[in-house]
Amino acid sequence: MGSLATRFCGVDLAHPVLNGSGTLDALAAGTLGVSAFVTKTVTLNPRAGNPPQRIAETPQGMVNSIGLANPGLERFCDEHLPRLADLGVPLIVSGGGWSREEYAVAVRRIGAHPAVAALELNVSCPNVDTGCISIGTDPAETRALLERCRAETERPLLAKLSPSVADVSAVALAAAEGGAAGLVLINTVRGMAIDRDTLQPLLGGGGGGLSGPAVKPVALHAIFHCRAVTGLPIVGVGGVACAQDCLEFASAGANVVALGTALFRNPGLVEEVVAELPGLLERHGVSTLDDVVGRAHHHQGKALLEVDANHS
Amino acid sequence: MPPDRRTLQVARVEAVGAYTLLVLRNDGGEVGAPGQFFMLQADPEPHGAYLPRALSAAWADAGEIAFLLDVRGDGTAALVGAAQVSVLGPLGHGFELHHGPAILVGGGIGAAILPWLVRDLPGPVTTLLGFREQRHAVCAALIDADATVVLEPTYVTEPLARLLPADATVYACGPDAMLQAVAALCAEHAVPCLLAMEAAMACGFGACYGCAVEIDGEWKRLCIEGPVLEAGRVLAGGHDG
Ligand SMILES: Cc1cc2nc3c(=O)[nH]c(=O)nc-3n(C[C@H](O)[C@H](O)[C@H](O)COP(=O)(O)O)c2cc1C
Ligand code: FES
Repeated sequence: MGSLATRFCGVDLAHPVLNGSGTLDALAAGTLGVSAFVTKTVTLNPRAGNPPQRIAETPQGMVNSIGLANPGLERFCDEHLPRLADLGVPLIVSGGGWSREEYAVAVRRIGAHPAVAALELNVSCPNVDTGCISIGTDPAETRALLERCRAETERPLLAKLSPSVADVSAVALAAAEGGAAGLVLINTVRGMAIDRDTLQPLLGGGGGGLSGPAVKPVALHAIFHCRAVTGLPIVGVGGVACAQDCLEFASAGANVVALGTALFRNPGLVEEVVAELPGLLERHGVSTLDDVVGRAHHHQGKALLEVDANHS
Repeated sequence: MPPDRRTLQVARVEAVGAYTLLVLRNDGGEVGAPGQFFMLQADPEPHGAYLPRALSAAWADAGEIAFLLDVRGDGTAALVGAAQVSVLGPLGHGFELHHGPAILVGGGIGAAILPWLVRDLPGPVTTLLGFREQRHAVCAALIDADATVVLEPTYVTEPLARLLPADATVYACGPDAMLQAVAALCAEHAVPCLLAMEAAMACGFGACYGCAVEIDGEWKRLCIEGPVLEAGRVLAGGHDG
């Protein structure tokens, strides 16, 4: 039987299953078995987050309007990072901001900490009106942001992108040109829920971000196209809920996967998926997930891209 | 670390007026303290409800865990229709059981968590319950045969106001507006008061930040800080700064 160990953007991982940013607090719940821990997005200033109600269940998923609640860069670095450094798995810190300079300050400070293996730039949060999401909808802004942050750290920079843009592969290409070492696809899809009784918006933030199995096809499509256009390594996230999903995401072009919303219903899922993967890979006649990566591109991939272009 | 999820068999399901009692056969697993909560999901997982439901037990011991539910949507309907249920918990902080007299205040389905308190509190217990209609009040018999029961438009704070001041601890669970009114009355009379609060929860173990409630003047996660809190920590307008 093959090994699940892999390497992503220079970071050695015991297996290919991570958590999605903002969907696990390892200081409260432990790592739940992830091979690298991804933090909730940290911003320069502390953020209280959006007023309740912050979550609503939807068909095969949920919408959230957490609003990037976080302790801010200062407290994160002083109080959280030293404890996260003791978790025993590589750390990927997610950063967000409202200007290139804000990101740059965060990247410099976080990237200087020896425990940080890589940084993820969140240019895709749907729960703030300006800032990261507006950068991530604009390829030129995204390229400039990556270039600016590239100058601040030696660590690999991953760009986390939103599918709620006209052409995510154009943003991905811009991120690659700006110096991104990898991509994280996808953040939540813009969404909304209406209270069935009052017929008013259910979430305190008005709109929110859709996640869970409902977004899996959106994630696969974004991964497939961004892989084709950039060739960058990809963390696949968006509705992953079982070992079979890992293979499908890998085939579309993800090198590793992250579990998000699925962890909320089953915190034991990382361990279950990791236990199931070797047998599933064997049934597909391969020994590692790497053997599956990009498989959907090999035969019909090019033709599919063309068909897809005609449809959009 | 959240505890392991386990699968428990449904022992019985009974209508209790407008509410439904769901009794699970416990396998000797930990049940925690009254006021802690469990994340429950029908097994196999229902199609129409993606997330588990956060519920505090009506009572629990090594042999069974019972929940009183207001069946309103797909998730709760699936729970009372299931042969087995996956259970994560106990989670969060429950009631600290003070010695001496206790006044229990329950509003609507919030009364669901009181039977366990009535059973375990060491001192004399006075129970006050408020419901919308008589069909909701049927569950009072499960809680305390001697309970004072009021129906809307009377609020449960009326009998409470008549009892205060008192040398007692108040334990309350119900809708937010009721809890705020109970907390304000208790603060006025300097009576210690513990509130079991509710919030929409996706995970129950601190992962999603969905359950934010204003605690100590900040949005904090109810699943981590609560769901049982000293009233002063959540009183609107602040209590002791
Ligand atoms: C409650 C919640 C909070 C999230 N917070 C963040 C965040 O702070 N930063 C970020 O980049 N993504 C955040 N995400 C997005 C997830 O990391 C992930 O990209 C998305 O949920 C899709 O994956 P899933 O369907 O497996 O949940 C959040 C998602 C949820 C559900
Ligand atoms: S319910 Fe998810 S953090 Fe509290």
